[in-house]
Amino acid sequence: MDGERLLWLATVVVAAGFFAFNVQKFTDYLRLGTAPEDRTNSPLARLTNFLEIGIFQKKIFRDSIAGPMHAAIFWGFCVLTAGTVEFIVRGVVPSFSFSAFLPHWLYAFYLANQDLWGVLVLGAVALALTRRLTRSVRRLQGAETHPNDPLLILSWIGALMITMFGMHAFELALDPTSPMAAAPLSLNMANALHGVSEGAARAGLEINWWLHGLLVLGFLNYLPYSKHFHVVTSLPNVYLSNTSGPGQVGVMRAMDLEAEDVEVFGAADVQQLSWKNLLDGFACTECGRCTAVCPANATGKLLSPRKIMINVRERLEEVAPVSVGGGNGNSEAVLGKRLLDDYITDEELWACTSCRACVYECPVSIDQLEVINEMRRHLVLTESRFPEVLIPTFESMESRGSPWAFDPGDRARWAEGMDIPTMAELTERGERPEVLYWVGCMGSFDERSKKTTVAFARIMQAAGVRFAILGQEEKCNGDPARRLGNEYLYQTLAKDNISMLDQYGVTTIVTACPHCFHQIGNEYPQLGGNYEVIHPSTYIESLLAAGRVPLRDGETANAVRSFTFHDSCYLGRYNDVYDSPRDTIRRALPVVRMQEMPRSRDRGFCCGAGGGRMFMEETTGTRINADRAREALATGTDAIAVACPFCMTMMRDGVAANGASTPVYDIAEVVAERLD
Amino acid sequence: MKIAVCIKRVPEMDVKFRIAPSGEGVDETGLKFDMSDFDGYAAEAALQIKEKQNGGEVTVICLGPDTVHETLRKALSMGIDRAVQLKADAVPVDAWAIAEALAAELKTGGYDLILFGRMSLDVANQSVGPMVAELLGVPCVTAVSQLDVSGGGVKARRELEGAAEMVECPLPAVVSIDEGVARPRYPSLKGIMAAKKKPLESRPAQLGAVRMTRRGSALPAEHAAGRIVGEGPGAVPELINLLHTEAKVL
Amino acid sequence: MPNVLVFAESRGGALRRAAFEALTAARSLADGGEVHALVFGAPGIGDKTAELAKFGAATVIVCEHAAFANYAPESMAATFAARVQSGGYKAALFTASAHGKDLGPRVAAKLRSPIATDVVSMKWEGESLVAEKPGYTGKVIATVVLSASPALVSVRPGTFVAAQSPAAGNVERISPASDPSADRVRVTETVVGDTAKLDLGEAPVIIAGGRGLKEAKNFSLLEDLARAFGNAAVGATRAVTDDGWRPHSDQIGQTGRLVSPDLYVAVGISGAIQHLAGMRTSRTIVAINRDKEAPIFKIADYGIIGDALEIVPALTEAVRAAKHGA
Repeated sequence: MDGERLLWLATVVVAAGFFAFNVQKFTDYLRLGTAPEDRTNSPLARLTNFLEIGIFQKKIFRDSIAGPMHAAIFWGFCVLTAGTVEFIVRGVVPSFSFSAFLPHWLYAFYLANQDLWGVLVLGAVALALTRRLTRSVRRLQGAETHPNDPLLILSWIGALMITMFGMHAFELALDPTSPMAAAPLSLNMANALHGVSEGAARAGLEINWWLHGLLVLGFLNYLPYSKHFHVVTSLPNVYLSNTSGPGQVGVMRAMDLEAEDVEVFGAADVQQLSWKNLLDGFACTECGRCTAVCPANATGKLLSPRKIMINVRERLEEVAPVSVGGGNGNSEAVLGKRLLDDYITDEELWACTSCRACVYECPVSIDQLEVINEMRRHLVLTESRFPEVLIPTFESMESRGSPWAFDPGDRARWAEGMDIPTMAELTERGERPEVLYWVGCMGSFDERSKKTTVAFARIMQAAGVRFAILGQEEKCNGDPARRLGNEYLYQTLAKDNISMLDQYGVTTIVTACPHCFHQIGNEYPQLGGNYEVIHPSTYIESLLAAGRVPLRDGETANAVRSFTFHDSCYLGRYNDVYDSPRDTIRRALPVVRMQEMPRSRDRGFCCGAGGGRMFMEETTGTRINADRAREALATGTDAIAVACPFCMTMMRDGVAANGASTPVYDIAEVVAERLD
Repeated sequence: MKIAVCIKRVPEMDVKFRIAPSGEGVDETGLKFDMSDFDGYAAEAALQIKEKQNGGEVTVICLGPDTVHETLRKALSMGIDRAVQLKADAVPVDAWAIAEALAAELKTGGYDLILFGRMSLDVANQSVGPMVAELLGVPCVTAVSQLDVSGGGVKARRELEGAAEMVECPLPAVVSIDEGVARPRYPSLKGIMAAKKKPLESRPAQLGAVRMTRRGSALPAEHAAGRIVGEGPGAVPELINLLHTEAKVL
Repeated sequence: MPNVLVFAESRGGALRRAAFEALTAARSLADGGEVHALVFGAPGIGDKTAELAKFGAATVIVCEHAAFANYAPESMAATFAARVQSGGYKAALFTASAHGKDLGPRVAAKLRSPIATDVVSMKWEGESLVAEKPGYTGKVIATVVLSASPALVSVRPGTFVAAQSPAAGNVERISPASDPSADRVRVTETVVGDTAKLDLGEAPVIIAGGRGLKEAKNFSLLEDLARAFGNAAVGATRAVTDDGWRPHSDQIGQTGRLVSPDLYVAVGISGAIQHLAGMRTSRTIVAINRDKEAPIFKIADYGIIGDALEIVPALTEAVRAAKHGA
């Protein structure tokens, strides 16, 4: 083998070895995360995610400009990787070519595609560079980002494309019979080189070849030091994520509180997160789509989901060398720091409304919310450090079974005169209801929400549904406690509820509060409570579809003629329910005009009450609910519809804050108003 | 510094009470119990004093049947070091009888500071603290809204009607705590788990003779359901009339 | 025919209304016997005792000492207890004012006896005193039987309204039973509070305002109403404190202050759950709102529908007239 090929072989071996070393180091870093994690379940769902989100770039395309741009680069790279493989092997074995095992036409097609995708990649890269250099895209900027990295990467990719075309052009110029003639652009470039001498062409080929080779191997080894490492981590991350599909959407990590000798609950540093959270940090490309849809960030709070993930990676890269071994003399200072407080402040953590917009938007399926939740758990359970205003909320849940300071004896007052049996009464008579109506704390105690409760009860009565309520036996499902990080209080409440529900043999529950809905339906199974839970939007729709609900014909004099529907985060992004509420309104009011807000459905803007924030003060920036109400009012509709009691309160307050008087109705009220 | 906090287990107050079938007290079915609010402030005050002094021990004492163990553990989960149950079938309403039992226990403890809540929320005698002080022969300051324990003495503020007085006394002393001194900390999960292992001693209460008893309880009259009195400024005279004659607040 | 000894409270050299209430209450226990009043104070207090005779004190016992310019609980308790014993009284009575709540139990301790505190009614049944007192934050009235003798009792302020019933008022002077300079508990200073601004937690009447007031400056109407009442504080909802119309410390609600006044007047407040959680235990609730569907009307005892900006001034006038006229 001649010297040049030997040199190339040696270079490849060294580069590969160095890359392998970095990958090994990276997996060692991931092992620092000690929280238990098992991602071997649901392989089919995971594979579907891998294909839809990873390969077919479903989330990437949510941005109509960056979508095609990135898809071009990604798909281009997939195609061009084949060419790169051929290129590397040929450097050692010059006669190597895919044409040895591909039919002639396919090989020509493959070569033409190298050209085509090369152009697309180059064009996309040029667009990307322009967007960054002109600072025209807000989400790409942020104090937490590393702006020079992407400029370098994009330029590097551009150089790779240029040297590739250079190689192809000079190769064709030297040997016009080369199969490369199938590549039209390269052919045209070669023709342009017509007058160049053979010596110059050979030199040109040599230079471009080695440049390309060194750029490729260099690029590979730069990856671990760059956020561009996502080319290695993002596809596995999409496969391993629970953010959609594997039946666990939006469910917080299970926690065993019985474990003895546990010193630390939740996560204060990267070691208390799981390897998956840490992998999320390395999959992050700093694209900023999450922060761009975060309601807290949009209204001036310190929280940025992107910053959370970048901080996770930065902290891991800081502490891992010291922990894993080696490290420099600064280790004590490094070990004395931690992710909480030194990187992520509690102010950021408490600003989150758990709306899940960040998780939903992320193109590589990162779960920012999980990191926030684990850190909240640490603040509450280990350090008892949380906004003072939450103490009465926690105490009220503990002693009264409701976060609201109301007399538990008043829970079923809304039902007076409606002849609704309780589970206790029915059980005594030896009867079982068709369905249990779980009212929730808002629906029981808030004067405005009680109207929704009554409305839904009337609909069920009109439809002849045999239902019962728990009355005073109902307790808060525990969602505010869990989302605020108070897992102990949550499990106490949840276990009580589960044992009561099981005692009554409850199997089917309908509830008008999406938080109750999500909690009882999706998270109670963690503690052994398995029930079928339905939200009124789907329940009413099914009753209407079955013709069980008698509705009046014709319009009333002051009927509402247009609605805009405000999506509930816990119905929408957590449970994929977007159409039922809208269809319910349309069925009840066939002539109504539904106007969508700019941020609707899975892009819906949170009302601001989730994540326990209903029970906290909002002291920075503008109010989330005022912002959302302004958007709703701008549609100019007669009324705003909601499907959640928290949204109801927030939207009413928000409308008032904007000085307007547009009414807010729950979908159950809209239907009940039309009962015959 | 050795601090003792005397607490009482009372029902959660934010409910509609019913009278027990016997007619003597309230019906306890379904009620949730916790330490009386003012006792919580006292417990928190004790912990803050211990933390400021950088050392010392806080003991919590509660009179009653074994159901008070739950309340004592709650106090331990806040960070209190040890708990003592003075076992009795029931807590009398006679403050002197209670004071005698507490004083018998506190006498041998060598406490520098003994804290009480200003009053218990159920019986509201507001007397046990000063009575215990008399039995122990130590000075007592009641219903303090600000407390400073340093230099071997107590400096406190007491709220009066439209005024306040600043009071001092030397240690050892008994102090009863009013609102404004401290809000009880929320126990961390670590605290709750540690509380399970802390010492909880139990001994029979040496109650004094009982000369005040509760013969019965009743609910105050319910006020009538609300109504709209009228519209506009014209409805004001009728409102004034109702506030004067019916509600008796004017 | 039992004699009753009463603690006649004074402050700053003047008798307080608590003293007259105590005398009035004691007369119902005296059952034909005499009511005596014991007054502590700095030298000169003895000259202010004629009032006590008007309210029924047959004898006024005056204990003057320079140290008694301030409240001196230890020597006052010792003196009072000694007099109870030496005077052979059947009962001793205090008003459960701030000082009364402190002194009563101390005297009881000296006499090694229980005391029935904060009672709203009382009578003799044979040798025992039977009294009613509120408990459970006012939600339950307990009937207690006190068999100790002498019977020690304190009465809830404002229950036994002071009423005159002239008696002899013979003055007797005594010295303190223990040397006040040996007192371990010392009052070093009495601070007169800012009576202009009542704390929300203490005010018997609260006037609260919300968005319905339209602008921050309209809160002055509520302040006028509060002044007309004389014992009222002004509160606000979260919405208006968030907007900076009122300070944060005025916020009433789930995340603000929890209040329980005798009278709560909600002006321009819709009644969202966060606010109701903070004031629903108020004894009487009045709501003024232009929206008759506002949730606040569901829990209000009395409501007026209409424009707050018109109704509140009318209410202020009416309250002023009621307070000063009748």
